[in-house]
Amino acid sequence: MPIARIARNTLLTALVIAAFVVSYRVTEADFPRLFRDLAKGKDLLTAFLTPDVFTRDVETRTVSIVFPIPCGSAPTESLLPSEGPRLVPSVLCAAPLETFTLQGFDLQPNSEVVIRWRLPDGRTMTAIRTETDANGYFTYEVQARPIQSTVDGVASRLEVDTLTPVGGLKPSQALKDVMDNMFVTIFMALLSTTLATVIAAPLSFLAASNITRKGCLGTAVYYLFRSFFNLMRSYDPLVMATVFGFWLSFGPFPGFLALTVVTIASLGKLFSEAVENIDAGPVEALNATGAPPLHVVRYGVVPQIVPDFISYIIYHWDINVRISTIIGFVGGGGIGYYLNLSINDFKWNQAGTAIWAIVIVVWAMDFLSSEIRKRLT
Amino acid sequence: MPNETVNSRPVVRSGIASALLPGLGQILLGERYRGAGILLGFLLILATTLWYGKPVWYVSPLLIWLWNVWDAVSLAGGRKRSILLPLFFGLAAAYGIGWQVVEIDFSKADMDRAMAILRPMVRPDFVQTRREVNQMWVPVQVPCSSEPPAARREDAGRIATVIPDCGGVGETLIVTVSGMWPNAGMNIFWQNPIGNPLMLGEGEITMLTLTSDENGSITTTIRVPTTALVAAPDPTLPQFHRIYFEQYRPTGGYELSFIGSEVLKGALATIAMALLATGLAMVFAVPLSFLAARNLMSGNPLTYAVYVVVRTLLNILRSIESLIIAIVFVVIVGLGPFAGMLALALHSVAALGKLYSEVIEGIDPGPIEAIRATGANWLQVVRYAVIPQIIPPFTAFTIYRWDINVRSATVIGLVGGGGIGFLLIELIRVNNMRGVSAVFIAIAVIVIALDYISAKLRERLV
Amino acid sequence: MLRIQNLSKTYPSGTQALKNVSFDVKDGEFMVVIGLSGSGKSTLLRCINRLIEPTEGKIFWDDLDITAAPPADLRRIRRKIGMVFQQFNLVKRSTVLTNVLSGRLGYVNPWTSLLGIWSQEDRQHAIQALERVGIADKAGSRADALSGGQQQRVGIARALMQDPKLILADEPVASLDPVLSHSILQYLEQLNKEGITVICSLHFLDLVHRYATRVVALKDGVKVFEGAAREIDRAKFKEIYGEEAQEVRAASL
Repeated sequence: MPIARIARNTLLTALVIAAFVVSYRVTEADFPRLFRDLAKGKDLLTAFLTPDVFTRDVETRTVSIVFPIPCGSAPTESLLPSEGPRLVPSVLCAAPLETFTLQGFDLQPNSEVVIRWRLPDGRTMTAIRTETDANGYFTYEVQARPIQSTVDGVASRLEVDTLTPVGGLKPSQALKDVMDNMFVTIFMALLSTTLATVIAAPLSFLAASNITRKGCLGTAVYYLFRSFFNLMRSYDPLVMATVFGFWLSFGPFPGFLALTVVTIASLGKLFSEAVENIDAGPVEALNATGAPPLHVVRYGVVPQIVPDFISYIIYHWDINVRISTIIGFVGGGGIGYYLNLSINDFKWNQAGTAIWAIVIVVWAMDFLSSEIRKRLT
Repeated sequence: MPNETVNSRPVVRSGIASALLPGLGQILLGERYRGAGILLGFLLILATTLWYGKPVWYVSPLLIWLWNVWDAVSLAGGRKRSILLPLFFGLAAAYGIGWQVVEIDFSKADMDRAMAILRPMVRPDFVQTRREVNQMWVPVQVPCSSEPPAARREDAGRIATVIPDCGGVGETLIVTVSGMWPNAGMNIFWQNPIGNPLMLGEGEITMLTLTSDENGSITTTIRVPTTALVAAPDPTLPQFHRIYFEQYRPTGGYELSFIGSEVLKGALATIAMALLATGLAMVFAVPLSFLAARNLMSGNPLTYAVYVVVRTLLNILRSIESLIIAIVFVVIVGLGPFAGMLALALHSVAALGKLYSEVIEGIDPGPIEAIRATGANWLQVVRYAVIPQIIPPFTAFTIYRWDINVRSATVIGLVGGGGIGFLLIELIRVNNMRGVSAVFIAIAVIVIALDYISAKLRERLV
Repeated sequence: MLRIQNLSKTYPSGTQALKNVSFDVKDGEFMVVIGLSGSGKSTLLRCINRLIEPTEGKIFWDDLDITAAPPADLRRIRRKIGMVFQQFNLVKRSTVLTNVLSGRLGYVNPWTSLLGIWSQEDRQHAIQALERVGIADKAGSRADALSGGQQQRVGIARALMQDPKLILADEPVASLDPVLSHSILQYLEQLNKEGITVICSLHFLDLVHRYATRVVALKDGVKVFEGAAREIDRAKFKEIYGEEAQEVRAASL
């Protein structure tokens, strides 16, 4: 007896271990790579943690000098100023690939600095971004490149922009866009939950065994709806949204439809269970008074299920807000779409704003829905 | 009535109060909840309409405001008005704006396109009849050189010829093939020099399919596809293209199609991701959950601070969908199931940590008190009074989480996290709806089966 | 007069709940049905208003064949037969008033009542019914806020709303304390004296002696006794309930 148990337990343990080993290989798990490349995620996380919420107006001041490459191809800067915002290169001209030092004096203190080349044809090449110290000073090693060579006697210029924030904080464009998209997201959840409720509530009676499962036809209807609900429920709304997005092209509308379809199934199942769990006594009592069938439902069934229904509806609104924040990834609109765009454009700070907005809204909905549901029971 | 004059002062007062601030009149009359509700509802609708900015909808807050004044006046006269009216105004605005914001437009729902999507889905691409292929090809020069070689090829008793021996784009060729299987369908298509097949049927978008005669021969005219030279580096340079003849016949039985095997691989990856993620999450969530349990950590200020920090972190992490976490991991470890698995694991740590810590908070304090009374330290209390009580619910929650993770794993591929979702989005991109249908069936089978298994396992634990 | 003729009921599972039961109930009687649990009392009462369809036999009510009535007629018959249940069968989440008003559903305009709109008369009628059972002050409470005895009184008030000629009471006091049992049965007795026929199933012999004008006893679905209440003594009681049965007096509990 104990041997059989030990054998069984060993076998079970071996099976579980085997399952994990297979899973490890199938998922191509590569933990060394995770730790090696963790640094790649650092920039991302830093950007996410510093969302683009507020901006200040930026004042840009530009100073520039002529810098011929190679020497003699064009006249150099004749006289460098000795006071005021100014640029001082270690040499006044250079051969291609030669390195020299560029210094800036008396620029805007503690400001962002953009150093760039303005090529003879007017195009620009940004060399580096750096910052000035408290005295408005910076220094930087610049390499002259062949592409910056003088063309037809017109030399390239070195330009330096100092960017100084002025005025008070104001909401950034990203914040405004995020709020607009969040507005769409919340409405998408609201409308899909409402439409799903309107459709699921009557259908749920057809999938409730105590109401429908009578006679041949009734049993067939019961199984039909029950399996429809179970099948549709197994799809994540995002999976549904891929097909709806393919059908109706991008936008909140396909996302709304996908959410609605899955919510109908999910609510239909929950509703039908609530209907199945009602107390049969009042129904019997109303039948005994000679009430017509519709009235038996209205006075005997509906009052028993309304609190459960409301609780499920609020619960699903909560879930749907959560899902509609990400449904934009696969074709639905709203904040998920915005987040996807930001990520594809490598605008991580902007993505961070969207993520924080999602966290806040999801959190608030979670709190609200659980508070309301607590009150209901 | 004699008391009308007596009441006139509160009537005016509450009316003015409510006109200034909706709900205020009601509050002054002692209806605090009614007043607060009116104020909140009014502000919500006002904010919504202002945000949306279409002046039509300003009617809604205006009507609510008017009703509110009327209600305050009626209330002072001792009559309560039904709140159905303002509720209707508010909901009408909310749903009207929602309808426009969500761009709901059922006329956009093109039923022909829906049918075009759904019709292939009736035949999921999962298995195919096992069949053998009879393939033949003949080279043909496009465009013509001055002395084109004969467009004729013989192979295992089959002969294919093209007249003339070469052609320019859009020119007509007479193609003859013999020695193929008799009385059988034959696909004829073009292949350019880099190996891409081009269709020869109607409008160059359908396959040209003919039936061979009793000798296994076919003669037909084709036109050199207009796209034959699109990929050529120099369209004036003569190159050898090929015309292919393909016949299939069933050899009995079925085999997994290519898409079918991909679906199976995706399904396996999905289940594996979920399993590994749940296992990994459990390892991290168990110790964290003890730190996030209020009853164990409220002993002194230091542990309480740890409790607050851990709880908050878990709560924040829990409200970030695994799909979003997956994006970060895709950047770190690249596309594939590993990234998806890590995302699921991280999200599950938060979810499981919360569930576990609630289990710990709900345990019977009796045994803890008893063990503590024996002079046991914190670790001993955990080992002898807490752990025996929490193993079954922990296991149940873990299995439950595995079930949820399988569901999430089906979508994590949509952002590059691997598994069946990745396959799904690829198939949709190339408009392979038969493959999409197979994926949908696979997802339903996986999710329903795991739902069932997890429910059975949890039943046995209780 | 209610005439029950050769009533039999066999459930789809094969259980034979009633076997060829026949008896008459005259107008104004307080008829008590006794028997063990599972002896067919509940089935018998539910066959009378056809909440359960009898397999064989007929039930006549003043020459009206209840067993043959089409659905519309059946509803008209049902609204004249009030019913009181062991588990009260109130909608617990609805108010007491709504529960009482629902007894009127066989009479009122189907459309307005579907919207929950009731005439002033019906409301007054309901309040009066509640006053008769002494709980008019609870009209606005939710039904599940009431005690068991109060809930059963709501059940009686609901039956009263039907203006019944006959009340079927299925173990109306089995879920209540002995003390409350008397108060509930006194309400039924009062109604009986006002001319409503009552058919009631009961467990306790002393309650039977106290309230019944006539008694029918069932054993395994067969009628084993019919007669006046005083004819049931200890011996008869043991015969009906079996040798092991010990009489428990409601009042002594």
